[in-house]
Amino acid sequence: MTERPLIRAPLRARVGEWFEMAPVLAGQAVLWAGPPLLGLALFLGLWQWGHLTYGAFILPSPMQTLRAAFGVLTSVEGWVILGATILRVMIALTLSAVLGGGLGLLAGYGWFLRAMLAPVATILLGIPATAWVILTMIWFGPSHGAILFTMAIVTGPILYIGTVDAVLTRDRRLEDMAASFGAGRFERFRRVALRQILATLAPVLGITLALGFKVAIMAELVSNVAGIGAALAKSRAHMDIDMALAYVALAVMGLLAVEHGIIRPMQRRAGQWRRIGS
Amino acid sequence: MSGMTLATISHALAGRKVLDTVSLVVRPGEMVALVGPSGCGKSTLASVAAGILRPDKGRVLRQYKRHGMVFQQSRLLPWADARENIAFPLIVGGMAKREALARAEAAAEAVALLPEDLGKMPDQLSGGMRARVAIARALSIEPDFLIFDEPFAALDPALRRRLQDLVLELGEVRGFGGLFITHDLSEAARIADAIAVMERKGKGILGRLTPPGTRGMRSDDTIFAFVQDALYAETLLTDLVNVDERAVPLDCACDSLGPRRCC
Repeated sequence: MTERPLIRAPLRARVGEWFEMAPVLAGQAVLWAGPPLLGLALFLGLWQWGHLTYGAFILPSPMQTLRAAFGVLTSVEGWVILGATILRVMIALTLSAVLGGGLGLLAGYGWFLRAMLAPVATILLGIPATAWVILTMIWFGPSHGAILFTMAIVTGPILYIGTVDAVLTRDRRLEDMAASFGAGRFERFRRVALRQILATLAPVLGITLALGFKVAIMAELVSNVAGIGAALAKSRAHMDIDMALAYVALAVMGLLAVEHGIIRPMQRRAGQWRRIGS
Repeated sequence: MSGMTLATISHALAGRKVLDTVSLVVRPGEMVALVGPSGCGKSTLASVAAGILRPDKGRVLRQYKRHGMVFQQSRLLPWADARENIAFPLIVGGMAKREALARAEAAAEAVALLPEDLGKMPDQLSGGMRARVAIARALSIEPDFLIFDEPFAALDPALRRRLQDLVLELGEVRGFGGLFITHDLSEAARIADAIAVMERKGKGILGRLTPPGTRGMRSDDTIFAFVQDALYAETLLTDLVNVDERAVPLDCACDSLGPRRCC
């Protein structure tokens, strides 16, 4: 007589359990997704109402905007424009992370550098992004480099301050634990401190990314260098409101995709253990 | 055999002298408990002994191959599961991860952790299990000297007693010596061969007490009688009980021995 595989019963039990839990899970899903969807519907409704009230020239309908956005996404030119802005954001954020984050790490561990850079960071943070756009236009002219510089100088101090804070608020007791087992300075940093620093930085990265996108578009708009901002300026010049809104919608959707696809999961993962501590 | 000598250790933290020429000898194979009022510098001395802090003055002579340390509040890496936490000292020591994880399972078995618990994250473990993981982590490197820094202070009396038994069993089987920091005199009398009593504000070791009998073999009555004698000895009364409200060795003794023993 052959024995029945042990896996069958638990699997069946699990399926049964799932069916029993289905109404509860569905309820949870509604509670989870319901309010945001309701908010989105409300927003679209208001938009449609504005369109009906003021006309397509002032405010194109959501459907018109969607059609225009689809047009951008299905054209090579559209992807070149979107790609230019996205690439710029990525390069500038990498620069900020290396400069701001790197300096933040050094300042977090060294009080002298921290004290020295504190007023500089405050001054840089106090300068509005628009002021940087104008200043870099004057200094470097309308160029790719000017936009990168603007984005880096706006987001760099935020990453710097975030990194300093992450270094200072890490749980040093864990490093003491590692030291008690003979971990050297670098090992303690690599295996214990860095993990905590990155977890604290995750929300800061989200904010920096969003800000980076906004500054990029603004700088492109003012300097008229290829990208979403320049496309917006062109749409404005041609009174092509559909296209202008389409680019805005695409920028927002791109941001949402990055936030929900990368930043939020990263934050959730970090938050899982940060909630509890050691 | 493993021992340690801390010779005239002085150390200041944030400009405040925490240890002032403290000397302590742990003889080979001996488990010495260090007791004293809160804030007297016990944990600082443990950190010096473990090499976490380098003393401003004095010398640490280590007569062992490897030491492990068990901390108060476990100090587990919150992003790693129990198995990875236990393997952490091995990985830090340069062992390949796969081998370290396999060795971690053996250490976990020694502290009676179940295999299904090894995949759990620290927040999924109870206080007692976390303490077991911390002990297993210290054992993973097969130390011949162990430093305990109030490892069971936050646990309830029954659980604390079970873990004390575990430490005694492991000490019997593996033959390690060590330093056991506690503010609970009855815990000290249960676990240790000798008890060093630390003076207030790190002024040094007030004296060394030796409870009757062998560690692990002392009955509750023996421990209780010893604690009573120790507490009523004039010097200890002055230095342990009457310091301030935070120094509560009498209450702690009652905690560990159960309500029937409380006076």
